[in-house]
Amino acid sequence: MDFTVRDAGDSTEIRLHGRMTFSDHDTFRSVIAAFERPAGHRIVFDLSGLDFVDSSGLGMFIIARDTAQKKSLDFAMRGARDEVQRLITVAKLHKMFTIDA
Amino acid sequence: MMEFQHETPASLYGLDLGIPLGDRRVLIADDSRFNQRTLTRFLHWAGITQVAFAADGTELLERMESVRPDLLLIDADLPPIDGVALCRVLRADPRWRDLPILMQSARNTDQLRTLCFQAGATDLLAKPVNPGECIARVRYHLERRSMVQELRAFRERVERDLRQARGMQLALVPDDASLAALAARNGLSIEPVFQASDEIGGDFWTSFEIDPAEGDGESRVGIFVADLSGHGIASAINAFRLHTLLTRTLPDDRRDPARLLGLLNQRLSDILPVGQFATAFYGVIDRAADTLLYAAAGAPNPLLGSQGGFRVLDASGLPLGAFGGAQYENRRTPFRPGDTLFLCSDGLTEARDGNDAMLGEEGLADLVEQAATAAPDRPFPWLMARFAERFGTSLRDDLTALWIRRDAGRGGGACDKGAFIPPSD
Repeated sequence: MDFTVRDAGDSTEIRLHGRMTFSDHDTFRSVIAAFERPAGHRIVFDLSGLDFVDSSGLGMFIIARDTAQKKSLDFAMRGARDEVQRLITVAKLHKMFTIDA
Repeated sequence: MMEFQHETPASLYGLDLGIPLGDRRVLIADDSRFNQRTLTRFLHWAGITQVAFAADGTELLERMESVRPDLLLIDADLPPIDGVALCRVLRADPRWRDLPILMQSARNTDQLRTLCFQAGATDLLAKPVNPGECIARVRYHLERRSMVQELRAFRERVERDLRQARGMQLALVPDDASLAALAARNGLSIEPVFQASDEIGGDFWTSFEIDPAEGDGESRVGIFVADLSGHGIASAINAFRLHTLLTRTLPDDRRDPARLLGLLNQRLSDILPVGQFATAFYGVIDRAADTLLYAAAGAPNPLLGSQGGFRVLDASGLPLGAFGGAQYENRRTPFRPGDTLFLCSDGLTEARDGNDAMLGEEGLADLVEQAATAAPDRPFPWLMARFAERFGTSLRDDLTALWIRRDAGRGGGACDKGAFIPPSD
């Protein structure tokens, strides 16, 4: 998995690319480092470049959500497609996450 | 004491000797007594006291087994086999394949040096051998060998531990005999495939009978399939935790799948770190009512086969242990004599073939349909054989698959493996 971080004022967009699996834990730590933002800051995961997540990947979404809650950040995800969208639906994560259209 | 001072290793140019090498054995192959003595003195300065000698190549080969050296010092011009040939002979023997071999030679042409390395020499010393260089090179190769041996021992220990853990994981699931007995008592056939990956993982499944509630008639059969997120020892340990939690549940919980999952979710949420969870399916087969009552926590969708073919059951739901307080939903579907329930873990649906193409849920549904058509008598072995053909048998993830079939009713004729069907059925 690769990622890019784009800051725009009081919001940050993090685009995830490729396959997000067990072996991406270290990369994901760098993603979480981008959550060092003031309370109220908006962070959005753009998942449109993501081809696949496994259960470890879903776990990383949950870690991101938990980190954002602890820092009082406004966290959302958007753009999931195909297999990623299917797994989010199967795990009903859309009920627990803010999903932007 | 003072007498020894100038002979102690530390005194040579104030060299830092690093790790102690007193237990290392060096075998010197040199036909000159003078060279043997000189090299021995250098080795003593390097902290090496166990030194053995061979005057020629033949003697060296004879002494290898008894001395079991950690390093060889060979003269390239040794009679009757020269050092280069000797080196080739040694390297051809698997026992000495990674033994450090230092060659010393008075003829320091680039051609000879290249020849030595090609023959398998680890390093070269130019004659006359300088003490400082000799000590540094010998120590370097012995230390390197120690590290490689330590790493290898560590790796072997981890592999042994993983093998043992894999054995324990395999022992979590019902054994063949008790499973066959349970199935027979309940008019079912239950065929499992449960394979732990090389790295071990977090799959776990079990089946049990649930005592009838008072005035509730027959016993029921619970089928529980779970996959702990992640890989390796952590997810295997979490599988054991889940197994323990499940064994502590009461019949009242087990009769109600949504309640059971809610309970397990709560307990797992308390102990699992953020980001770890289990996807799960839990179903209760009720033969008296001809139904399957089930609840799920984000498991791969089960397939239910009946007269009209297979259809997909909805196994969506919040994973166990991820969100405290999560609620689960009971779903009920007819499960009549002759019907089939196919359950699996994502080790099956997420398997990738040689072209990196994933089987996927749709691919799996097609494969199950094909199995039922192509091999109506033994669909499950057919299915797993096709799977192995395409995806191989070396798994990156644990794999669980269950083919559960209700025996056909009276007069149905297709009685599985002679299983006893109670007359009341």
